[in-house]
Amino acid sequence: MPDTKRQPKQRSLPEAGQMADRVAPFALIVGIVLTTVGFFLAFFYAAPVNGAEVYARDAAGNILRDSAGNALPALEEIGGQLVSNVLLISQKIFYFHMPVALVSFLALAVAAFYCVRFLMTKQQRYDTCARISMEIALVFVICTMITGEMWTRFEWGVWWTWEPRLTTYLILMLVVIAYFVLRNALDDPERCATYAAVVGIIAFVDVPICFMITRLVPSSVHPVVLREGGMSADMGITLVLVLIGMLCVAFALYRMRFRQVRMQERVEALKAALDEE
Amino acid sequence: MATPSTFRQYKTLLVKDVRQEFRTKEMLTSMGIYALLVLIVYGAALAQTSNQLDILQMSGGLLWALIVFTSLLGLNRSFFAEKEQGCIEGILLAPLDRSVLFLAKATSNLLFLIIIEVIAVPLFWFFFLTTTTPAETFPLMVVPLIVGTIGVAGVGTLLSTITMNTRGKDVMLAVLFIPLIFPLLYACVSATTAVLVGGDTALNTFMLSLVLAAGYDIIMVLLSWVLYDFVISA
Amino acid sequence: MEYAIEARKLSKSFGGRKALSEVSFSLPEGAFLSVFGHNGAGKTTLLRILATLARPTGGSAKILGYDLKEEAENIRSHIGLISHAPMLYPDLTAEENLLLYANLYGVENPEARVKELLKAVELKTRRMDTVRGFSRGMKQRLSIARALIHNPELVFLDEPYSGLDPHAVEIFDGLIQNAREGRTFVMVSHDLAKGFALCTHALVLSRGNVVVFEEKDKLDFEAFQATYSKTVGLGVL
Repeated sequence: MPDTKRQPKQRSLPEAGQMADRVAPFALIVGIVLTTVGFFLAFFYAAPVNGAEVYARDAAGNILRDSAGNALPALEEIGGQLVSNVLLISQKIFYFHMPVALVSFLALAVAAFYCVRFLMTKQQRYDTCARISMEIALVFVICTMITGEMWTRFEWGVWWTWEPRLTTYLILMLVVIAYFVLRNALDDPERCATYAAVVGIIAFVDVPICFMITRLVPSSVHPVVLREGGMSADMGITLVLVLIGMLCVAFALYRMRFRQVRMQERVEALKAALDEE
Repeated sequence: MATPSTFRQYKTLLVKDVRQEFRTKEMLTSMGIYALLVLIVYGAALAQTSNQLDILQMSGGLLWALIVFTSLLGLNRSFFAEKEQGCIEGILLAPLDRSVLFLAKATSNLLFLIIIEVIAVPLFWFFFLTTTTPAETFPLMVVPLIVGTIGVAGVGTLLSTITMNTRGKDVMLAVLFIPLIFPLLYACVSATTAVLVGGDTALNTFMLSLVLAAGYDIIMVLLSWVLYDFVISA
Repeated sequence: MEYAIEARKLSKSFGGRKALSEVSFSLPEGAFLSVFGHNGAGKTTLLRILATLARPTGGSAKILGYDLKEEAENIRSHIGLISHAPMLYPDLTAEENLLLYANLYGVENPEARVKELLKAVELKTRRMDTVRGFSRGMKQRLSIARALIHNPELVFLDEPYSGLDPHAVEIFDGLIQNAREGRTFVMVSHDLAKGFALCTHALVLSRGNVVVFEEKDKLDFEAFQATYSKTVGLGVL
């Protein structure tokens, strides 16, 4: 019934398709381009570095070098495992691992924000926003876990270690999954939205814990990159490019999914309205 | 007829929970038996360890695993009576602040958990630690037990209110409760193990872990308290 | 005339789903309102909103002169609800259950009040027994005592007859008749004949909208029944 669309009664229907939705496809393209550029930069521009600083040292703490002047790799104990450091291409994962992790934190923060907004207003729109932010967060959390696993395997030589940040991040992933399990276990939509919002807010408490843990627990194998002297310009540029690219991708995914869900809700609402007449 | 003071309402609700529990002993017996069963399973699991130090180092973790699983069982039951004949609605109809309800329920849960711990911890000791020599500092383990139990009761009360209305509530509570309680669990295990094993840095680790656990308690219990109104009214 | 309930465009919706849309009516003090409607018409939603158990998304209402949104606490100490669920703790005795509610409401001299009510609902001899052993009818009688413990001016009845045998219904009706004095009642029911017999005002909801709101004296049961079947569609009778 397109002709009745402008009637005031219809205004309460779920809507989507604002400016942000028109921007979304472009953001997706920009994001893809930037991450691809970042990918190439990571391999061909950024200088190779050692992921973990594990060099053989002499008694005075000087790094032992071979005849060509290269630092000698050594064994180090990480998470109860002896790890040999090799100058590896696996460090390139860092350029994706960190941006993806940052975006996942950001998505969780956005979700928590919408959870608060929902509890304040009880409008379905905010619940939808929170739910989709959580979905995006889940996607990026899983990506972080995958890249992180590759990192632990190839850099530290172990598949899994109960290291503080790994542990807290795993917990974060479980909480995000629990959020969706909870939503599935509730029938009444308003109650479902309220409970989910409460869990979303509580789940967010783990984000600062996870973010700060490498600063709080010094034994952590996760390097605090910015504190330990930062990165060279080539690494920084690559990282920022990928970060911006990932942000664009996340934003585009969010808006596209949001549009899809809102349209679905709109159809439901129209069905209900038709039923009433 | 004036609305009674908040404290009187709190006391009324608490007395109701305690009286009901002591009459049926549903929560306490099921938790107690479950704790005993977990200990028996531990017996089989640890039968092959010969080194005494191993047991001592694992004891903090084993004790907390026992507490977490037992309290999960108890928390699941804590809203059973409220839901059974719609009592929770009757309580919500009374002119009382919703946070009073949270505090009363959290207090009664805390009380029941402490009763179970008073039974289970000595039993654990009896079964596994009498052959070992714990460090002198072992009485300090009471502190992480109390701090941890407060957090478990606070967060658990909020989560069991949420899960009482869900399908498959038993699993649902575990799915929400265990990840959310994890940081607290981690800190409490580290504090308990530190005082049991002893050593030079034990007290430092103990203090740091306790501070973390207490911080978590404060944040989570406050958050649960604030959010309880939304949960119970939904 | 004083109104016990003044509802102005009360609505409740979530997303596109409307449970109630702009329900308005005024109920004078001392009246007995029966709310009719098929399943999902919004009867229970309306009752829960008026009893402060749910929040409306739009509109306003005054209950006993208090604003529904701003003064919910005040409203709560003046209303009672008898539902199909007895809202009694099965492992506490009849007396303990009533004392619990008396203390929550801050009733003066609770013991005397509880004794008086137990006598009124004819459960005095069973006061030391736990509610678990009670029959459905006895539970419902005790439930009346629970709802009236703080002497509310407005009493809600939510399908109170479900699960009661004819004898229990008779006793229940008698107790409700005794409690009518000086109180306003709102009852939600499927049972058209029963609800119509008791009420002074009738309200019919269909899909969240008010179809009929009228004093009973102005309604003829046969005609009302016909309109009800027609507007509501599905014959619930």
